[in-house]
Amino acid sequence: MKKTLIILFCLLASPIVSAATSIKAEVNGMVCAFCAKGIQKKLNAMPEGQGAFVDLKRRIVVLELKPAQDVSLDVFTQVIKDAGYAVSKVEKVEQSIVEIKANIKASIKGQ
Amino acid sequence: MFKQLFVVFLLAVSSLQAQSAALMGFEDSYMLMTETGEYNQEMMFNYAPSIHHAFGIEVMRMSPKGTRATTMTGINYTGLIKRWNMPSAQANIWMMGSVGEARGMHNGFSYSPSVQFDYETARLYFLAKMRMVRAPGMINDNAAIQGGFSFYETDFDETQPWFVLEAKATKNYNPSFQVTPALRLIHQSYFLEFGVTNPFDKSERAPRLNLMFTY
Repeated sequence: MKKTLIILFCLLASPIVSAATSIKAEVNGMVCAFCAKGIQKKLNAMPEGQGAFVDLKRRIVVLELKPAQDVSLDVFTQVIKDAGYAVSKVEKVEQSIVEIKANIKASIKGQ
Repeated sequence: MFKQLFVVFLLAVSSLQAQSAALMGFEDSYMLMTETGEYNQEMMFNYAPSIHHAFGIEVMRMSPKGTRATTMTGINYTGLIKRWNMPSAQANIWMMGSVGEARGMHNGFSYSPSVQFDYETARLYFLAKMRMVRAPGMINDNAAIQGGFSFYETDFDETQPWFVLEAKATKNYNPSFQVTPALRLIHQSYFLEFGVTNPFDKSERAPRLNLMFTY
């Protein structure tokens, strides 16, 4: 009985596990640090986001969304266009920025 | 040739107005650019309300060998006429212009319109620029090309080193032809470039430092 109560307490105390949602895009024209800086500034200004990541080498930008927040792919694409660049591919992924970074790192190691 | 350039300048202004619906921008950014060399010193500070337009102030000192210098102080406009975003490259056509006052060897109303084309990948860089530099009794119009390469590709949070070579020809100037090999370091908002103008001519050899900061 005591063990059951401890397990129940641990389950209630642990945070609810849910995958983070991010918007990931491949950006044309993002070839320099100044370009990336402009895009990062635009993404960081979005209230729905809780973090932005720019991978200059792979021309990838990521916006991790706050829980229960959403941004349409069209709106996200327009933000990148407003920053002066073009989006060649955009998608929503059930991954956090930390997970996306880890995937990139793993893919580099696997090459 | 420079009359043709002026026509291009006027066309550029009109085309900017026609393209106002296609505004794209790194909005709300400030930029400080400086060039310090023996033959030319320049400082420009501007604010960009969008990627298509920036407004600012500029101080340019022309100091040819053996002649008293002229300092031009004025207001400056920079406009992006056209940008091409490619998968691994970007190309732009820019127009710039400043009007102000010249003091020194030449005095009075000064103006300096220019057009620039640049093409850049993560490893290669090319720029061509034509600029009129005018004041009463002074015509120092110039044309310059720059080419460069990066030693290696870097990530956003790393400093990227570049080798850049510039060739610049200036009317009624001494030296009229300047070649400057330079090492350029770029890190996010900063840009630092150190070069030596005409390194193979002992009488004209001079260091040059360029800095740029974007916020």
